[in-house]
Amino acid sequence: MSDIAIDMRGISKQFGPVKALENVDLQVRKGSVHGIVGANGAGKSTIIKILAGIYRLSDGEVEIDGKPIDTITPASIEKEGVHFIHQDRLLVPTATASEAVFLNNEPRVGPFLNARRMKREAVELIKKHFQVEIDPDTLVRDLSAAQQKIVQISRALANKAKVLVLDEPTAALVAAEVTSLFGVLRALRDDNIAIVFISHYMQEIMDICDDVTILRNGENAGNVVPAESSIEEIVALMVNRDTSEMYPRRTAEIGEPVLQLENGTRVGHFENVDVEVHKGEVLGLTGLLGSGDKQLLKCMFGLDQFDAGTFTLNGNRRQFGSPAEAVKAGLAMIPEDRRAHGVAVDLSVSDNISIASINSHSNNGYVDTKSEANMVNGLIAELGVKTPDRFLPVRNLSGGNQQKVVVAKWLSCESSVYLLDDPTVAVDVGAKVEIYNLINRLAGEGKGIIFVSSDLEETVEMCDRILVMYRGRIVGKYQRGEIDSDQLLAVASGASTDIREVP
Amino acid sequence: MMEDVRHSIFSLDALSNYIVLFAFAAVMIIFSVTTANFLSLENIYNVIANKVVLLAIVSLGMTIVIAAGGIDLSVGVSVDMSALVFFSLLAAGFSAPLGVFAGLFAAFTVGAFNAFLINKLRIDAFLATLGVLFIGSSVQRLATNGGTPITLTTQEYAPVFQVISDSQLLGLPTPVWILALCSIAVFLLLHKMVFGRYVAALGAKPGVALYSGVRVPRELSKVFIYCAVLCGIAGILLSSQVKSYIPLSGDAFLLDAIGATFIGTAMTSDRRPTVVGTLMGVCLLAFMRNGLLLVGWNFFWQQVGIGVLIFVVLAFSFGLRKREE
Amino acid sequence: MDTTVSDTKSSIDRRALAAVFVRLGAFAALGIILLYFAIYARGFTSSFNLQNVVEQSVILTILAYGMTVVFIGTGTDVQKGGIDLAVAANAGLSGAVFVTLLNLGWPEPLAVLAAIFTGMAMGFLNGLAVVVFRMIPLLATLAVMNIASGLELTITENNVIGVSSEFLSTLQFGRFLGISALAWVLIVFTIFVAFLMHYSPFGVRLYAVGGFPEAARAAGLNVGRNIYFSYIFSGFCAGFTSILIVSRLSASTLGTGLLLLPVLAAALLGTVFSRRFVPTIGGTLIASLFVGFLANGFQLLGVSSYWVSGVQGALILLVVALTSFAKKSEGA
Repeated sequence: MSDIAIDMRGISKQFGPVKALENVDLQVRKGSVHGIVGANGAGKSTIIKILAGIYRLSDGEVEIDGKPIDTITPASIEKEGVHFIHQDRLLVPTATASEAVFLNNEPRVGPFLNARRMKREAVELIKKHFQVEIDPDTLVRDLSAAQQKIVQISRALANKAKVLVLDEPTAALVAAEVTSLFGVLRALRDDNIAIVFISHYMQEIMDICDDVTILRNGENAGNVVPAESSIEEIVALMVNRDTSEMYPRRTAEIGEPVLQLENGTRVGHFENVDVEVHKGEVLGLTGLLGSGDKQLLKCMFGLDQFDAGTFTLNGNRRQFGSPAEAVKAGLAMIPEDRRAHGVAVDLSVSDNISIASINSHSNNGYVDTKSEANMVNGLIAELGVKTPDRFLPVRNLSGGNQQKVVVAKWLSCESSVYLLDDPTVAVDVGAKVEIYNLINRLAGEGKGIIFVSSDLEETVEMCDRILVMYRGRIVGKYQRGEIDSDQLLAVASGASTDIREVP
Repeated sequence: MMEDVRHSIFSLDALSNYIVLFAFAAVMIIFSVTTANFLSLENIYNVIANKVVLLAIVSLGMTIVIAAGGIDLSVGVSVDMSALVFFSLLAAGFSAPLGVFAGLFAAFTVGAFNAFLINKLRIDAFLATLGVLFIGSSVQRLATNGGTPITLTTQEYAPVFQVISDSQLLGLPTPVWILALCSIAVFLLLHKMVFGRYVAALGAKPGVALYSGVRVPRELSKVFIYCAVLCGIAGILLSSQVKSYIPLSGDAFLLDAIGATFIGTAMTSDRRPTVVGTLMGVCLLAFMRNGLLLVGWNFFWQQVGIGVLIFVVLAFSFGLRKREE
Repeated sequence: MDTTVSDTKSSIDRRALAAVFVRLGAFAALGIILLYFAIYARGFTSSFNLQNVVEQSVILTILAYGMTVVFIGTGTDVQKGGIDLAVAANAGLSGAVFVTLLNLGWPEPLAVLAAIFTGMAMGFLNGLAVVVFRMIPLLATLAVMNIASGLELTITENNVIGVSSEFLSTLQFGRFLGISALAWVLIVFTIFVAFLMHYSPFGVRLYAVGGFPEAARAAGLNVGRNIYFSYIFSGFCAGFTSILIVSRLSASTLGTGLLLLPVLAAALLGTVFSRRFVPTIGGTLIASLFVGFLANGFQLLGVSSYWVSGVQGALILLVVALTSFAKKSEGA
């Protein structure tokens, strides 16, 4: 019997040319809560996915409870007693709560399912650990986010988990739910269960973790004991303080307003939101998951409708019923989920770039291939898209180059306002810098930019003004330089006392 | 990284792009060796004029739909409704051009109804067109008192059918010319026009099309209407050829049209439907059937043979494709 | 914060309400139609007629169970998920094999086994194509359907092949406790499949695999093996049904493949009778009996049978549109 539950040594992982992890060590003691922190793209989720058997490691060794593990699969890792509470709640939506708790571990009588016992034990298990009652017959899709988390953790407990890995477990929870979750985690820790806890929220890390491993750019940046450390120290290890290279300076002139929203409301998402963007300005919009920032972009782009409010674009009052109308009026969207909404990876670079503007390169419905080729080649050269020719399927490009293709698509239709929804998510550092350069360039051409990002550091560094949303309302407005990323986190997470009273 | 992109022709992945050509070559070689007449000009002419044309026109319609990421199970309904209206009007004494126009309009209506179900009621294409398939067969039974064919063999109608299906132009039968026109039209639509770009985007990633400002419902409507109208053309040709409207006869095209289109997708490295691929698929099916017939296999064995052929080609095409992470 | 909570709550209420409305609506429509038949269609409620309808529906129902299990194990997104277009043609082929072997003098039990084996082999072929060759199920089963119906035609040479045996006539005319043998078969088979799908751990897992494959995989389930099972079980249903078809007609006849559309209709309609709008054995049973009663009622009312498929088609569209509406009202 070893005192170490998980011992990962020298872990490396490569995706094509991109090094996601390099020589990372992670040791988790039994009976402890071990935090993993790092900025976006630091490698947190990669190391978890390696442990979960979703990614194969390129190099390194893994020992569970002192026992070396050669190949990890989702099935084998559960047998070792390691359970994962994934961020995207991996639950079958049409299963009942009790079925979800006991999936692949169902109580039975002979060959039959013992549904009665299954329901009773699910209720008891949940009650014992969480002191709440969940109707075992409720469908998973009808459960709240917090209840789904409870079901997920209960499933691990029903399987006698020895290690519990929680990836951003508090993301969709309200404060009281977080508190009760922490109570449960402490009780489990006292039962000698090892817990791996991944979170963006520094205060939570300080509250719950016994040890913390800090990752930065795919490498170990340090291990600290929160009780003997401070948020400042951890954050300093997390972020690249050498930001002068990372965030290129911008010299754009800020002109007249191009987009205005007054009292924008979408019931259940945001309320009475005012936004104004000027030509050449980068407006940062930030908030934690569920703060309403992303839904706000959707309403502006016609993917959803405002319930109330005045929306003005280029001086005209608008309400877009579909993205087609928004695009025609000069809006551009760089979506968060690039593979679902940004680029069609099976289509060529050329097809992806020209899709939004192909109509203006056509005569009577026929594509003017010469004019299209000129436009596409021009944009490829202008933005420095690394591709041998314009006919290469986009799937063969790196993440940063794919993102350039999305920007090229909008440059081709001369959009006046760009809505950027987490454009740097899941791209490596080099590509990030290129995207920042693109943003500066757009601003330099007099475009208005709304930049939604969950990366607070980049928000602080890149934006002329910053709006912070919390639970559907704007709770802070700052000019460039008025706020740093730690303070921004405090405001966005509702941690500073004056904000907490905002309904 | 660039090396990865340019595959060697001998890699399995690249090889799978040639499976249709291999199969076609194999079919041609095997049957020209085993039968005397297979490669004769007369036989080839016969296969193309009688077997290829109708299936090809329907398959072209199916190609548009599948390229846009959908499927149309109601192609047979469009074929039949067009023939039904065409023959009903002829029988009632209306002029042939009007009959043709009304027939095509009937097919258009089927396509528009599909589009309505898909866009407005948000039923997915498979189920929407399945429902239309059911309803279409009921409508035809009701209209024909349970499936009685409408046959127009009298002298009065002969010139009409003569023009539509039995005449020749520059040594080729008129239907072949009609197929050529349809192929060119669909080729232009899919590969030369703006519409084709939208179709490709819808087929590759509907979300990207939506986020890029493509008017998705409008383009989908066009997709299903074009398909239905092509089927309508096939319906008029079919009924003119046999000089009767036979209820539910269009359903026979469904499986072969889907099969031909998907066989065609095996010809491109990204498995996208193309006009050339579909025509190739149709030819493969038609010559295979014809060859089996000449070898002396009866209709039933032909069907087994065709089934196995489709299965094997598609298994190669899908199974050998490079796996993504 | 209060507003957010109450909003989510009310949207859940609204959605639950819509779901209840749809499901009750489905039952109400069913009830009203049956009531109408009971009042206006002479002889509809006679025990002879009712039993007759049930017997006629046995074949459709068991084939629809096969389709239902495929839906359960591979999801109801028929375009990208799973579907078994081969199930009806497969039954035709199995029947042809059965009759031919009997006429060749094979002992009955062996011939029965051979028929069921034939069905399962074709099911295995479907699974192979979907799991190993990663063909779209729609295409894979379409090709297998072509093969099966071609083989059936080849074996029977497009003829009706008669056969008679004691076992078959028992199945056709036998009665036990006043209920016909066919009805007993339906009852026993239904109980068997219902236990397998709804009262065994296996069923729970199969639902998980079909409902959200990634989640099932993350829970350590073997997704491919479950998909294989779905198709092979569907083949088993086809083989099993073929024996009933042969006994009912005392022959192997062509045209079994035409059952595909009603089978699909029954399996799809069945989803509306379940609380979760998922395929269930009970839902499929109700739906296929409903399809049977609909045809019977029309017949008794003197309505042309030509209406039947149109009404089925309209029902499918109605059901799918309503369920998508009920699901959509979950409010963004």
